[in-house]
Amino acid sequence: MKFLAGGTDLCVQIAEGALEPTLLIDISAAEELRRIERGAEGLRIGAAVTIAELLETARAAPGKPPAPASVPRCLLQGAAAIGSPQIRHLGTIGGNLCNASPCGDTLAPLIVLAGSFTLRSNRGSRVVAAEEFFLGPKATVLEPGEILQSILIPSTHLQGRSAFRMIGKRNGQAISQVNVAVWLKQEQSADSAGGGAGGTAPIQDIRIAAGSVAPIPLRLGRAERHLRGSVPDPSLLQAAARAVQEEIQPITDVRTSQAYRRSVTASLFLEVMTEVLEKQGG
Amino acid sequence: MLLEFELNGKQTRVEAEPNLRVLDLLRDVLGLTGTKEGCGRGECGACTILLDGKAVNSCLLYAAKLQGRHVTTIEGLSGADEGAGGRGDQGDTPDLHPLQEAFLAEGAVQCGFCTPGMILSAKSLLDRNPDPDVREIEEALSGNLCRCTGYGKIVKAVQRAAERAPGSAKGEPHDER
Repeated sequence: MKFLAGGTDLCVQIAEGALEPTLLIDISAAEELRRIERGAEGLRIGAAVTIAELLETARAAPGKPPAPASVPRCLLQGAAAIGSPQIRHLGTIGGNLCNASPCGDTLAPLIVLAGSFTLRSNRGSRVVAAEEFFLGPKATVLEPGEILQSILIPSTHLQGRSAFRMIGKRNGQAISQVNVAVWLKQEQSADSAGGGAGGTAPIQDIRIAAGSVAPIPLRLGRAERHLRGSVPDPSLLQAAARAVQEEIQPITDVRTSQAYRRSVTASLFLEVMTEVLEKQGG
Repeated sequence: MLLEFELNGKQTRVEAEPNLRVLDLLRDVLGLTGTKEGCGRGECGACTILLDGKAVNSCLLYAAKLQGRHVTTIEGLSGADEGAGGRGDQGDTPDLHPLQEAFLAEGAVQCGFCTPGMILSAKSLLDRNPDPDVREIEEALSGNLCRCTGYGKIVKAVQRAAERAPGSAKGEPHDER
């Protein structure tokens, strides 16, 4: 028995004979799984919200000023990197997570945003941190009969700034060879109070994660420790990039080589840091 | 199972296995062969249809998902049929949709196999964004492959259709003033 949401991956696996479920239960139309709600605890995203719907939240309605983006930037960037318009119209955020491909583009963003997942079955519900949800390629902590109900990004991590980059063979329809997400919060100096912090303020807190560099999306704690509490100058960023390279465990596979992954992950990390240290609109 | 959905503006009832691909339902059961099968795994876009006005791959869609929904195929674009998600298509020629006219006018069709999918992806874009720039058009068509490599003319055709469609910033005035 398998639960089916958008089907963009499951249908291919079934068509190729990699999966032969005797029962498919389509949960994609359940209203309770299709809401995006902002509350005191943070931003709660229903598991059956489609990737396109997630991206729509950042789009201004016709004739109206752009709404303040409530979905953090790195998650929007990760969502935009997925598949094609057709895939994004069908595919869901819950599907991207439960599919647990190490190269899934919403996985690293939700890890750096300190996301937590509410899992539900007829035995009750439980909450699991994003970084503890994944066990390996296509493997998660979900038990038989259990579904991912919703994703919570805590209000603490809706503050601060974040960014995501992936590298693939091309932009449309490409599967990530490597992806990197960073969330950080800088201390505000007296001068810049009220405005966004510049590159010179110390980093109060930071979370870094990368995908397609290990069997599961990896949080990069050593690189984080290089930067937490420090002013991010170029030499410190280079040291953190070296820590990133040492911490990841990439493999050579059909998409690219281990050496390329190791090298490009550090470059992507530095690009993401540049973006995240510049002033952002959201 | 008995499926009831709106197909190209008409209520449709059809008996089908719930896990039949919509691509096969359309082509083999309903005889609508304008929807093409290329890769069969959601990568080429030849099987694109509109589901509630949004472009989706019909090779990745099981028939059961159509219950109560609105489906538009390439066959639903021509004639007086406005289809789901339409905005009142009133092209100069009563028989062709402005996108179809534009693809002909720009010579954007070579072998024609990708064309239905290209046109439906373009319709999904123009219904939401009547005045897209080139980058937005390319993004909207990024899930549709053309192996005759005619992308330049296809993008031009979408631009032409956008300029001539009702609701375009360059055509009739609309409610965004």
